[in-house]
Amino acid sequence: MNNKNASPKKGLRERLKYLKPFLNTILEPVKIIFKDPLGIAGAIIFSIIVLIAIFAPLLATHNPAEMNERIEGSLLAFSPGGQWQDYEIIGDKPINDLVIRGQQMIAAAESGSIMMLQEDGSWQEVKIDAGIDFFAATVAEDMILAAGEQGRIYSYQNGSWQENHLEQEIDIYGLTVSPGGTIYAVGEEGSVFSWQEESWQQLNTGSSRTLKDINFVAADDAIVIGERGTIIHYRQGEFLAPQFRSFTDETFRDLNGLHYFSEELAFAVGERGTIMGYDGTEWFAMRSDSSRELRGVTIISSEEAYAVGYRGTIQQYDGESWQTHERITRRGYRGITTAGETGYIYGVDPYVNELAPPSREHFFGTTHLGRDIWSQVIYGSRTALMVGIIAALMVNLLGFTVGLISGYYRGGVDSFLMRVVDIMYGMPLEPFAIVLVLIFGPGLWIIILAIGLLTWRTNARVIRSQVLSLVERPFIKAARIAGASNIRIMLVHIAPNVLPLAFLQLAVAMGYAITAEATLSFLGLGPPRVYSWGTILHAARLSGAWRTAWWWIIPPGIFISATVVSVFLVSRALEVLTNPRLRGGNESAPEPKESQDVLPHE
Amino acid sequence: MGKGKFITRRILQMLLSYFIILTMLFFVFRLALPDPTAALVMEGLSAEEQAMVRARFGLDQPLLGQYFTYLTNFVQGELGLSFHYRAPVFPIILDRLYNTLALMIPAIIVSYLLGPLLGVFLSWKRGSRSEFAGIIGGLVLRSAPLFWTGMIFIMVFGIWFNIFPTSGMRTLPYEAAYFFDKIFTLDYLWHLFLPMMTIAIYYLGLPMLIMRNTMLEVMGEDFIELCQAKGLSERRIMYHHVARNALLPVVTQAAITIGLAVGGQVVVEVVFSWPGLGREIVQAVRTSDFPMAQGSFMMMSGLVLIMNFLADVIYSYLDPRVVYKGGKE
Repeated sequence: MNNKNASPKKGLRERLKYLKPFLNTILEPVKIIFKDPLGIAGAIIFSIIVLIAIFAPLLATHNPAEMNERIEGSLLAFSPGGQWQDYEIIGDKPINDLVIRGQQMIAAAESGSIMMLQEDGSWQEVKIDAGIDFFAATVAEDMILAAGEQGRIYSYQNGSWQENHLEQEIDIYGLTVSPGGTIYAVGEEGSVFSWQEESWQQLNTGSSRTLKDINFVAADDAIVIGERGTIIHYRQGEFLAPQFRSFTDETFRDLNGLHYFSEELAFAVGERGTIMGYDGTEWFAMRSDSSRELRGVTIISSEEAYAVGYRGTIQQYDGESWQTHERITRRGYRGITTAGETGYIYGVDPYVNELAPPSREHFFGTTHLGRDIWSQVIYGSRTALMVGIIAALMVNLLGFTVGLISGYYRGGVDSFLMRVVDIMYGMPLEPFAIVLVLIFGPGLWIIILAIGLLTWRTNARVIRSQVLSLVERPFIKAARIAGASNIRIMLVHIAPNVLPLAFLQLAVAMGYAITAEATLSFLGLGPPRVYSWGTILHAARLSGAWRTAWWWIIPPGIFISATVVSVFLVSRALEVLTNPRLRGGNESAPEPKESQDVLPHE
Repeated sequence: MGKGKFITRRILQMLLSYFIILTMLFFVFRLALPDPTAALVMEGLSAEEQAMVRARFGLDQPLLGQYFTYLTNFVQGELGLSFHYRAPVFPIILDRLYNTLALMIPAIIVSYLLGPLLGVFLSWKRGSRSEFAGIIGGLVLRSAPLFWTGMIFIMVFGIWFNIFPTSGMRTLPYEAAYFFDKIFTLDYLWHLFLPMMTIAIYYLGLPMLIMRNTMLEVMGEDFIELCQAKGLSERRIMYHHVARNALLPVVTQAAITIGLAVGGQVVVEVVFSWPGLGREIVQAVRTSDFPMAQGSFMMMSGLVLIMNFLADVIYSYLDPRVVYKGGKE
């Protein structure tokens, strides 16, 4: 009984005996790295990259695939004649309406925000916590009004805001004060209200369409516009029959903006570049160059008018026809208004924050699709390390096995394996990977496979030459005479002695694999929707914007270089561990005396 | 074993390797794509017509028969028709090969002229701060991926300063009756500069550091002490005695690098739109042009094998021990 139990125990103990030197050989490289200052630097850089990869979700400020939008309220001032001034951001809510009355300026914005210009030229935001968007604002003699969703109308009187809402929960789109001093509001369901005797009176328009704007030229002469080409004249307290001209000759497009300049001149603008003109008797469609939605129009004189809209569209009227004005920004404007010597375009629609230079919000700026480059680079470190480690392990395993077998058996086996290595040397990596992708389609595994299948050649040669010299050592001969099997000699006696070299090769292979992955991904051979430093640069190149967007191409490159340099530095430190004399670069060369492998080949 | 015998043996080895690569290429392509005509045969052809097309391309023969056709065609320089260009592959590839060499060779020459010189300088300044900077610089240059350096160069010199063209070999349109007509112009050198420097800088680090290391080793040898005893100037010792003896490993490395540069060239050609083999193979993948991809790969691996062979031959001249020891062990 005892004997039977003893033998496996003894075997285990015997194996444990080998474990200690084995552990020592594993720990030795670590000690050696820390003896070399450059090695320490490399180890630190590499650890940082590893930490970045591990904590990527915490470090990334945005979803790397998200198209980041900017939401802001802004004004673009101009003076008649077409003198455009700088784009000015006021607040972070898109402005839906702007009223200028003398020195006063009031902007109605989304999310219950009202901006008021102070005497010192700064803007003050009044936040009305009603959970609605404001669409319209106006200034009457003694009060300021703002209105928006759900029939809510707010008035500012004697220094405080009061709510004053309609009975119906309809959205209000237009507010105006007639020259006679009456306040009018228009909105959904064809409704027009007037403020009379401290309450809102509904007027019958005969329409049920959403109305967008109302504009007076005289106390008893106004035009109301709305959806689907609705244009209604309001004269002497009467709504003339709605002019649904849509199905006859003019337009059935939604109209958004109106300016009733004089009895002989009015313009209404709307969807798909629709511009309607009024000459005092007739409404007629006018040609416009744009097919984009127009949201607002303002007339400065009978020979100058501007219409603005979606994606920075500005149309200019010269007394006869409309032309596209040069684009100032690409943002969607919500309207335009003039008062005296200045006018303002206001808005704007939330827009994709494309090609934004580095800022506090986006550390490395954004791509042409408004994606956050910092987050992409952070996630890219995961891909780089994953491919680097898996490919390096694969390369090392193959190279180590082939080198060990080749060096140990020598003769025919060696010749055969070295010819295989020669064939491997005959294939350049990038084209090899390209052919694999052509056949199997792009993917991370194809890249790993290409690196793994091809680059073990160097490892095999290096390991082999080390094994060749080990085999001649007395202790191997002793083991052989003691009757150890070939496998035992290889694994127990040779492998631990080659291990330090294998560590070095692992580091070298990793640096190489990371570069190779970046290169192949850059060529577009990587999988889509996986962020790697190579694919970021690939996307930059495809977009064409990289030629100016330096923030897009510099960070990924620096990360690649830093990672590879750190691995090089570590491997340089590790070189002390191995006897340079034993490492052959060129297989055909004699055991080279010189330590030529300061840097890894390939 | 004499030199002639050594070279013959190496040639035979090279041919065998190439043969095996060609064979692998054939089987990989055929097994992965049993019917390469699928891309070519238009839909709506009747079964008989499809069979006719297959017969015309020899696809009705057994695999082994196709393999022999493939080999004989290869020997005759017949690499098939490009799907994309609708023209024979071989002349196109040959043209691209010249373009590739027209970029690669100057780049390697520049890096192997500058590299060793810098290496001598570093070993001269051993222990100084500039040596340290040189070593770190060499490492960094080698770590920055080729395509990235290329992009940075284009951005800085092509766009910001606008002093170098950013793509192509020549300003279009140009007329060149034959290849040398194309490259013996200032315009070509103008276009060559950025891609050449991109490659040269990348490959410069290795010879520089090798040169430095070997120089340091050679400096420790006895005959240097003798030179110093003779009262030779330090410059003379460095350049005439040390450098000359330290060049050998650099030359070997140069030969190996040229082989590897064929692959590394691909990205540079893509970045600079250089009409070479590398750009062609990437384009072939985009257009699923199998004959073109196959042909380019054949050409590139042939180039690599020849470079490796030349490396061995050069080495055998520089270090005759290789030949007499049988090239191994």
